[in-house]
Amino acid sequence: MKYFIQNLGCQMNQADSERIQSVFGQMGLERTDDEAEARVLGMVACSVRQKAIDKVYSKIHEWNERKEHQNLVTFVSGCILPADEEKFQKRFDLVFSISDLPKVPDLFRQYGVVTPLSQFTGSVQAPPAPTLRDRLGMSTLEPFWKVTPSYSSRFEAFVPIQNGCDKFCTFCAVPYTRGREVSRPSGDILAEVRTLVEQGYKSITLLGQNVNSYGLDRPGQEMNFAQLLAEVGRLGEEGGHRFWTYFTSPHPRDMTRDVLETIAKYPVLAKQIHLPLQSGDDHVLIRMNRNHSMDRYRMLVSDVRDLLPTATLFTDIIVGFTGETDDQFASTLRAMEEFRYQMAFIAQYSPRPGAASARWDDDVAPETKKERLQVLTEILRQTSLEYNQTLVGRTVPVLVEKADRKSGYLSGKTEGKISVRFPSIDESLIGSFLDLKIESAVPFSVEGKLISF
Amino acid sequence: MGASSAVARVLAHEPLGPGGFLLTFERPNLDFQTGQYLSLGIPGHRQQREYSIYSGESEPTLTVLIKEVPEGLVSRRLAALRPGDRLHVDGPFGYFTLDAALKESAPLLFLATGTGISPFHSFVTSRPGLDYTLLHGVRQLADVALERGFDPSKVVSCVSREPGGTFHGRVTDRLKTLAVAPTTHAFLCGNCDMIYEAFDLLRSYGLSSDRIYTEVYF
Repeated sequence: MKYFIQNLGCQMNQADSERIQSVFGQMGLERTDDEAEARVLGMVACSVRQKAIDKVYSKIHEWNERKEHQNLVTFVSGCILPADEEKFQKRFDLVFSISDLPKVPDLFRQYGVVTPLSQFTGSVQAPPAPTLRDRLGMSTLEPFWKVTPSYSSRFEAFVPIQNGCDKFCTFCAVPYTRGREVSRPSGDILAEVRTLVEQGYKSITLLGQNVNSYGLDRPGQEMNFAQLLAEVGRLGEEGGHRFWTYFTSPHPRDMTRDVLETIAKYPVLAKQIHLPLQSGDDHVLIRMNRNHSMDRYRMLVSDVRDLLPTATLFTDIIVGFTGETDDQFASTLRAMEEFRYQMAFIAQYSPRPGAASARWDDDVAPETKKERLQVLTEILRQTSLEYNQTLVGRTVPVLVEKADRKSGYLSGKTEGKISVRFPSIDESLIGSFLDLKIESAVPFSVEGKLISF
Repeated sequence: MGASSAVARVLAHEPLGPGGFLLTFERPNLDFQTGQYLSLGIPGHRQQREYSIYSGESEPTLTVLIKEVPEGLVSRRLAALRPGDRLHVDGPFGYFTLDAALKESAPLLFLATGTGISPFHSFVTSRPGLDYTLLHGVRQLADVALERGFDPSKVVSCVSREPGGTFHGRVTDRLKTLAVAPTTHAFLCGNCDMIYEAFDLLRSYGLSSDRIYTEVYF
């Protein structure tokens, strides 16, 4: 029997999906990208953005029409708001949280999905349906983390180290969808990283909603984030071959100098820092409940520049947040000019159902948001180009990722995650590190030529 | 200790001031630092809301101060709870804590509007003998009832819409005439407008942003 799974949302959902696929594989199900031939159809949902939720409703409507003349089983998992969960229960056959993944074979058996493996394994007693309380921390995530994922790439992997969020930023619903901050045992994380390194993975991203809050939920019982990074760094030294380790997303509140010093010390810890700004204005930061000031953010950037002089700096920004005035936006504009990011993910504010700010007036006009987005994007184009031009003439290592959209070219990323393309049709190079000499630069990418294998 | 989730039994429901009430419930295995908040909900209902802890760190029970919002999905349900009823308790959360401030012998200035006085009640209950000045902003004189449990000599009741109290006007009006040393640790809790204005005033008095702590009530 074949299954089809569609991922929506962030890298956390991709990591969730890889574990779901692994469980399905153990159940004897076969993945297909053609949903027409699948009999098990599901989505890893994202409640953070309304567009993603709209996609879920659209897709389940389509699948339920198919069910009128076909035997299908539908499921949804991932990041789901309580209000959406109630509605999904009526539309999908199965709604399960990631923490209940090990129970999935039993849940599917109730729907008559009989596979060779499911005849012999698992409990015959159906587990209770997962509830909101389970997601909010009453059930353990450890069984989920024990599931070995089916990685979707042979050279790039995402490793969840932490789940949930206790920060309650007012624009975000994650505390209500993912529940409390829970750290995965460091032994499990390091075992997974070690296996990936041994298998030759080149890019490993440690994932969490607040990745640098790692360990704070278990003081005295678990290492902190800097210590965890140091252990990964030591794995790199033992292994003796190159890989780059990234992490996302961090919160400025929990970013420490220790973390940056550790990154500086170990070559396998990539010199690329993602530090979400969200707004460059203290008043807006207060209203967003970000729990840090611009002074604190400025100090962190100064530490990055001091300790990691070659690091690229990325950020996230929301423009047009509820009540954002022209003056407050101007503060963000000045911050963009000051910090000179290599990349920024700039979003126009839209209320996210379940978040505190969704109860407030979305009072910045759409055209104003659009204009602010354009203004910041133009600054980003300049600062990105300015940095990329410094790479011209240099030889840099690049991880080749894929065939480029431009025919006859491959593309990849530098350690600092700058996109590079170079002329080659040899797709066997995908997944390798290559030295490229950078010959030209434009905003957001550079172009080079192959120097060595 | 990290945040946890539990179901607790309500022990007491007591009105405090117009539209406000204190809800006291069992304290699950939950350590908190004074100034932190909880996320509360009703079993069987999906929505939760965040409330600062009103009680002291060493008290055997937990208390929150809640303002009933007529159109509120959660506060109305919490207002209907009576002893023996159950509620969901998640937490603790937040960084509105005294740790950094108490490492120095610097002046403490507390600014609150309405039920934003709640974490300060936890402060003074947890740390008897604490030296502080509290500017509390309310609209009506009857709301001064929220100041129960504070040393009256340390509280300036700023009543904005009728005569009475220690000061007639808004918290920020009083702040404008107050001598605030740059070494002060200032804690601001309440509505956003007060916090914005007070933040700017305090910055103009020379306080660095790491000496200004904010907790916005929405």
